[in-house]
Amino acid sequence: MTHNTVKASDYAFTLLRYLTLFGLLGTILIPLAFVISVSFRPPEEFFTSGVYLIPKNPSLEAWEQALRFLVEPLKNSLLIASGTTIVSMLIAVPGAYVFGRKEFPGKDIIYYALFVSLLFPHILLIAPITDIWFEIKLYNTVIGMWLALQVFVIPFMIYILRDYFEKLPQNLEEAAQIYGCTEFTAFVRVVLPIAMPAVVAVAFLAFLIGWNEFLFANMLTSGQGPRPAIVELFLLTQGTSGNVYWGRLMAITLVLGTPPTVLYLFARSYLGQAFNIT
Amino acid sequence: MLALLLILWLPFTRGIWMSLHEWPVVGERTFIGFDNYEFLLGWDTFYISIKATIIYGLSTVLQLVIALVAALLIVNQKWFKNFTSSLFLLPYTLPPVVSGTVWLYLLDPNFGPILTALTDYGLLENGLFWRSSGDLAITVITLVGAWTFWPFMFIIILATLQSIPEEHYEAAKIYGANRVQRFLKVTLPQLKSAIIVAVTLRTIWNLSKVAQPLQMTGGGPGYDTSVLGILLYRFASDNGRMGLSFAVGIFLLLLTSVFIVVFIRENRRSQQTELK
Repeated sequence: MTHNTVKASDYAFTLLRYLTLFGLLGTILIPLAFVISVSFRPPEEFFTSGVYLIPKNPSLEAWEQALRFLVEPLKNSLLIASGTTIVSMLIAVPGAYVFGRKEFPGKDIIYYALFVSLLFPHILLIAPITDIWFEIKLYNTVIGMWLALQVFVIPFMIYILRDYFEKLPQNLEEAAQIYGCTEFTAFVRVVLPIAMPAVVAVAFLAFLIGWNEFLFANMLTSGQGPRPAIVELFLLTQGTSGNVYWGRLMAITLVLGTPPTVLYLFARSYLGQAFNIT
Repeated sequence: MLALLLILWLPFTRGIWMSLHEWPVVGERTFIGFDNYEFLLGWDTFYISIKATIIYGLSTVLQLVIALVAALLIVNQKWFKNFTSSLFLLPYTLPPVVSGTVWLYLLDPNFGPILTALTDYGLLENGLFWRSSGDLAITVITLVGAWTFWPFMFIIILATLQSIPEEHYEAAKIYGANRVQRFLKVTLPQLKSAIIVAVTLRTIWNLSKVAQPLQMTGGGPGYDTSVLGILLYRFASDNGRMGLSFAVGIFLLLLTSVFIVVFIRENRRSQQTELK
């Protein structure tokens, strides 16, 4: 008797599990299916009624328009994101190493000063940073964007990497020094290669923050300057009512969404580890 | 290192100085003491903004529920586990402005598939012009925010779930614990820290979101969906009132500071247990 009831509840549980699982997947895959479908529809097809997935007259017009529109903004995005990555790596990798493996006076206080800046709402800095950038002539420059984004990229990177460096075996550098390495070469030749996967993952994250970032990019660039694609997309969606060609917009979203998605899937295991606090 | 701290904290210090001024982007600056703060506290719209921020911040709860359910579903999944969890990450990996655009289309009153389907099946008479109703607009941006950001909590919770030793569950089973008991007595206590960390981080970040809600509603109708972040942005960008903008930021900081303190304490505690 009891045996049977347990079994019935097991079946019910499994059924519920799969229903929820597919339900959740649906909230992601159905929108995605529409986005892809719509990006292959010609402009006329948006005025026909009814909901359907397969385009009636598939066309590449939306993609052509989207790519033509995106050439310049994508160059800017690429330049901003890769520069941001390089600058942040130069600072954050040695920084995280020092925080993770060295002792020095004031370490805790400096670390917490960094740590708090990871948490506090960066948006409140748009006013002072815009103002300072105007004064030191960094407004509307690529370098200005690189530097501004460091404000939140670096604390994030140091937070993740420090944790990783800290968990490496304690006597790694000592062993290297026995074989004739200096402190510096021990870092470059021994520690860094071991930490490479994590460093690469963090570089991906820096790149995608640079790619996705909207607010600072919008405040610090103008139409004549290095305005990245995200801001252009934002502007396209503003003041749109009725007669917008959604096909083109959806093609643009697919182009802009792909690079960060690919990078994220590579970087995710390290992100999980860094925040894995039990 | 010190130079680094300077880059991070100099703008903040300068911002405080700015907030004591009427500070246009170009032109004359005048010292006005605490007038910016007084103005905000006496301005009715400011309270609308705080209310909107809190409602929008509540999407953290939704995110937690979805993330917890998804992580529990995935952790014992045998087939396509990695593939499925990667699919779950998709909303979060898209730039928020991109997912905002996607939902603007899906929910477009004239051409979007969701509202078209509802009218076709006779559930709605006309298109639902949600952008012109304050209550609907804030609901929409909160739900879309939940959809966009839940996978962040999912990553953290899943990583922690995977680190719970299988023996704990087996021991619980031997003592006759049923599914619910196993969840409450084994899973939940182990997840406690991870949940606190995920919730505090997401709350801070949700309370200070700008891009996606701004894109979807422009902060309107009126100021109904102008969360503090958008209010701050509108002052800085549209009106060029930098001092006032930073003053809004200070209130936002006060709102999030509770969570910042919780996060730091939790982080410190877990580091101490790690050392033991």
